[in-house]
Amino acid sequence: MTSLFTEHLITSLITVPFAGIVALLFVRGDVWVRRVAMGVALLALGLSAALWWRFDPSIEGMQFVERTSWMENFNIQYAVGVDGISLILVLLTTLLGPLCVLASWTSITSKVKAYMILILLVEGAMIVVFTALDLFLFFMLWEVTMIPMYFMIILWGGPGRIHAGIKFVLYSLTGSLLLLVGILGLYLQTGRSFDIQAMVGYAIPEDVQIWIFSFMFLGFAIKLPMVPFHSWLPDAHSEAPTAGSVILAGVLLKMGGYGFLRICLPILPEASAEFAPYILWLSIVAIIYGGCLALAQSDLKKLVAYSSISHMGFVTLGIFAFNEQGIEGAVIQMFAHGMSTGALFLAIGFLYDRTHTRMIADYGGLQKPMPRFVVLLSIFAMASFGLPGMGNFTGEFLVLLGTSFGGMLKVLLAMSGIVLAAAYMLWMLQRVVLGQPRSSLESLPDLNAREIATLVPLVVGVFVVGLIPATLTTKLDSTVNGLLDRSPGIIESASPPGG
Amino acid sequence: MPLFALIPGLPLAAFVILAVGGRRFADASHRVGIPAVGLSFALSIAALAEVARNGALSIPLYRFLDVGDLVVTVGLYADQLTVLLLPLITGVSFVVHVYSARYMTGDPRYRKFFAVIGLFTFAMTMLVMSDNLLVTYMCWEVMGICSYLLISHWAHRREAGQAATKAFLVNAVADVGLGFGVVLTFATYGTFNIQEILAQAPAMQGQTLGAFGLEIERNTLIALCLLSGAIGKSAQVPMHVWLPYAMEAPTPVSALIHAATMVNAGPFLLARLSPLVLLAPSAMAAIAVVGAITALYGALVSLTQSDIKRLLAYSTISQIGFMIFACGVGAFGAAIFHLLAHGFLKAYLFLSTGDSLRATGSHAHRGASAPRGRIRPLAAGSLLLACVPPLVLFSGPYEQLWNAQHVPSARIAFWVVALAAVFLTAVYAFRGVVSLFGATVGRSVQAQPSLFSAAHLPGLAACAIAVTALLAGVWSEFSEFLQPALGALPAETESAGLTVALAVSLAVAVLGWCFAYYCHLRPAAVPFARREWVKTAYVLFLNKLYFDEIYRVVAVSPALRISRWLLHRLEDRIINRTVHEVGAGVREGARVLEGSAESGLIDPAVTGVARLVTGTAAWLERLAESGLVTRGPRLATNLLVRVSGWLWRAVDRPATGQTLQRAGGLADDTGETLQRIGPRTLRHHLVIIVCWLSLAIGLTYLLAN
Repeated sequence: MTSLFTEHLITSLITVPFAGIVALLFVRGDVWVRRVAMGVALLALGLSAALWWRFDPSIEGMQFVERTSWMENFNIQYAVGVDGISLILVLLTTLLGPLCVLASWTSITSKVKAYMILILLVEGAMIVVFTALDLFLFFMLWEVTMIPMYFMIILWGGPGRIHAGIKFVLYSLTGSLLLLVGILGLYLQTGRSFDIQAMVGYAIPEDVQIWIFSFMFLGFAIKLPMVPFHSWLPDAHSEAPTAGSVILAGVLLKMGGYGFLRICLPILPEASAEFAPYILWLSIVAIIYGGCLALAQSDLKKLVAYSSISHMGFVTLGIFAFNEQGIEGAVIQMFAHGMSTGALFLAIGFLYDRTHTRMIADYGGLQKPMPRFVVLLSIFAMASFGLPGMGNFTGEFLVLLGTSFGGMLKVLLAMSGIVLAAAYMLWMLQRVVLGQPRSSLESLPDLNAREIATLVPLVVGVFVVGLIPATLTTKLDSTVNGLLDRSPGIIESASPPGG
Repeated sequence: MPLFALIPGLPLAAFVILAVGGRRFADASHRVGIPAVGLSFALSIAALAEVARNGALSIPLYRFLDVGDLVVTVGLYADQLTVLLLPLITGVSFVVHVYSARYMTGDPRYRKFFAVIGLFTFAMTMLVMSDNLLVTYMCWEVMGICSYLLISHWAHRREAGQAATKAFLVNAVADVGLGFGVVLTFATYGTFNIQEILAQAPAMQGQTLGAFGLEIERNTLIALCLLSGAIGKSAQVPMHVWLPYAMEAPTPVSALIHAATMVNAGPFLLARLSPLVLLAPSAMAAIAVVGAITALYGALVSLTQSDIKRLLAYSTISQIGFMIFACGVGAFGAAIFHLLAHGFLKAYLFLSTGDSLRATGSHAHRGASAPRGRIRPLAAGSLLLACVPPLVLFSGPYEQLWNAQHVPSARIAFWVVALAAVFLTAVYAFRGVVSLFGATVGRSVQAQPSLFSAAHLPGLAACAIAVTALLAGVWSEFSEFLQPALGALPAETESAGLTVALAVSLAVAVLGWCFAYYCHLRPAAVPFARREWVKTAYVLFLNKLYFDEIYRVVAVSPALRISRWLLHRLEDRIINRTVHEVGAGVREGARVLEGSAESGLIDPAVTGVARLVTGTAAWLERLAESGLVTRGPRLATNLLVRVSGWLWRAVDRPATGQTLQRAGGLADDTGETLQRIGPRTLRHHLVIIVCWLSLAIGLTYLLAN
């Protein structure tokens, strides 16, 4: 039994949420639905913790690999495995799962079962996306994540939910179709195989690479999102229910960054190097543009949504710096952003449950009625603008270090994005938290034990990544080394000092 | 000695205990903070003794991160520079803790206050003890957030929130420079370890960095970045605007910010990296200019302020300006000396201010209302105060300063600036002290009990001044002690004692004091007070040269306006609109297609296909039913007929007939189904989509091959 379990750890992890969905179908009563969903999400977290524990950071390639033939005619396999990058994102996904369930404990009153099923569905699908070693499997579950999100937005969302939901789906579909074209191109180029690991070795001609890369880039850039393709995000984030926003900002966006790291860099190295300068500048634009727009927002959730665009700029900046600091920084930034922004959405959700408004102008002086809420909100706001000692700082700083080998001007511009982040977050805090409370807000109840329990794990996580980032970097080191070694074409554009 | 890790560790522990401990502590929070910081102070003294005996020590703590060739290890490093600052930081913090335990009594956020000042103390001790530039930068930022939390402590006040945000943002802008410097340092030296960087620095001389067609030496750029950080944290012109607003914080915090933490970080950082800074003469010049301008500006503005806390804030700005100035001319030892002297004095001044403010309940200073009889002893004290800067600036380090400036005009400039600043310092010290202690005699004092009785004040003053004087006396030992930790200019000669320069500067200080005393006694008799330009200048400096207003016009409102413009024009009108237009366009296109192509082209096509299929099927059916050869199409050639006839004969005729019949029936059904599916049903659309998709995939396949 033990060996069966350890040999199929990832499959067990994937099975848990899907089995949970089936189990939920037979559960009656909202109370039990919530409990079962929570139990399933916690079980998934436990399994991914086991995965984390057993992961051997010294091995360069994939671990816990499982392969079974699936559709032999088309050479499609069920193949899963993790390396350092997958491991961190899987942990993030399973960490946010239980918190999403907990956050929706009382705020979702209608169709609880459906809601919980959607949460588990999107969680399970994302675990597969982050562990898939077969492009077909990857793409299939990539598509699956979209559907539960759509229903979450249009069924439980805010007043503009229909518009936001349709925009989200159309945008995502466009992106996925482009991605599909890219994937089919790869399939045909690399000897009719969807095997990601096998593709790495193929020498694809550079002009073909560029075509495939442009399709895939568009697909990932819409998901991430990078700046000209971002306009679905503020609507979707702000209209989605709390758990939806958390999943969107926390993990869904990371699929874009993961795609770049898993497919574009190793399989299409020359094209990546070719496009890198433009992508780097686009990232700088995203950092500053997102920051500026966040500054101009009057809606709390939209503010956080635009800040996400700015933070995702750091992710692409790090990935396309093509060095260890940059890429590890990007992965850490994804992890830290998932926690801090997820937590901000959770906190704003708790506030929304009480007041049913998202406008900053409706708040003020919350420090008096809700001191605990204010402490937690401030912590996450500070984490979000990259205060040292918290997760985002580690990510952003490593990204900046990585960027510095390719030009100091970009570093300077990206740092001005951090100032913008401090500006919009502190200004938001000043308007929401400080000052004299309005009479209507004076009697607001402070966070209860459940809500605090939702946020505290993220506080711990943010500080661990900020103060002991070695916990993450040791898991990443050999993976990223291997990634850079296997694609020598991209290293020429940037080299560390003395090397 | 790993024990010394407790110097930053204890305040941190106090912070964590208070932050996590919940309501358990509430009004007893000071019982956590005071012993922690007190012990930390004792350990600082021990560290001072240890370093004095055995030289610098380093304590590795833990591996922070490890990315490729970047390995960051958090460690403590205590050399002479560090151990001199540690007693100041922990000592002042200890006093502030003790003082706040009384001062903040009854505050609803008592626990938060003690938690944050614990964190503040930790950040500053860690900053001076860090052996690594990254950790230094982190502590630097953590101090910024501590100041934010403390300035906004009385959160119900609108001004407090604004001041806090302002303080942090001004610092954040300046810290971009410092952060950039840290990144650049790594890009240049490949390490964050300060000692390694300093060891490699001379070898990097001449390495340049090109930007915008300019070639800047890397060391110069790094030094300028350090200056940028110092300008922010140490409130130098033009980033000084946050410090006066920081007065929104409870008064003990001001003592902490002005004396122990925060503002001292700038001179410390420059001194810590002094060997590197000395390699960049143009950066040194910039540092000296910034320091000199700040020293003069702070002194002039502080003369015009009527709020006692503002007055003290500008005097701090001025004094830190002195220190930066000293760094800029290479007199790092003098800067640190001044820092220590100023730190102890300012802490004393602020705590007594807080005392009297608590007693009188207002910030406005009312020097003129104090009875003359009370002024004399206080005025004498202020004379002593006024003599401190010249003692510090001109007693020992003077020779060093002299040697640093080889250019005669710079020498003269130094004289002018320094003496003017000394004069002004004397004037505002008099005003400040007299108004402060003169004011407490007012009527309202009796209403509220004072925390420290008035009798303690002269004693404290005497102590503080004695300490300062002692420091002044031991300058040469001090300088020798600090020598190993600092970079030094090549030609350096030390000469302590009463030189001409010292005598002149002391005379200027006394002159300033006399002037202030004269003005105080006979305000109307000041000869040039009525001149127009004096008034203009007064108004100008009263409004602090309009820095706040300029920033609002130049930086803050444009940033907001650009953001809003981006939101409304670019985001809403262009990006979002494009997306919506594309969506609408697709929908319109779909309508057009439905109108023309769909009903005019595709529908007939589909129907045509269906008819064709039905027709074929019918034909096949007929064909199969009636045998093949005889009723074949008339146009078929004879040969074809024969070949097909042979073919049909070769295979089993009835079976084929049946198969064909069945195929015909199937095709017939399909055709009929297709005909039945109306053009607007879902299935119809699905069929179209499948057609298009297979077409697209086929196309890709062709393209890819």
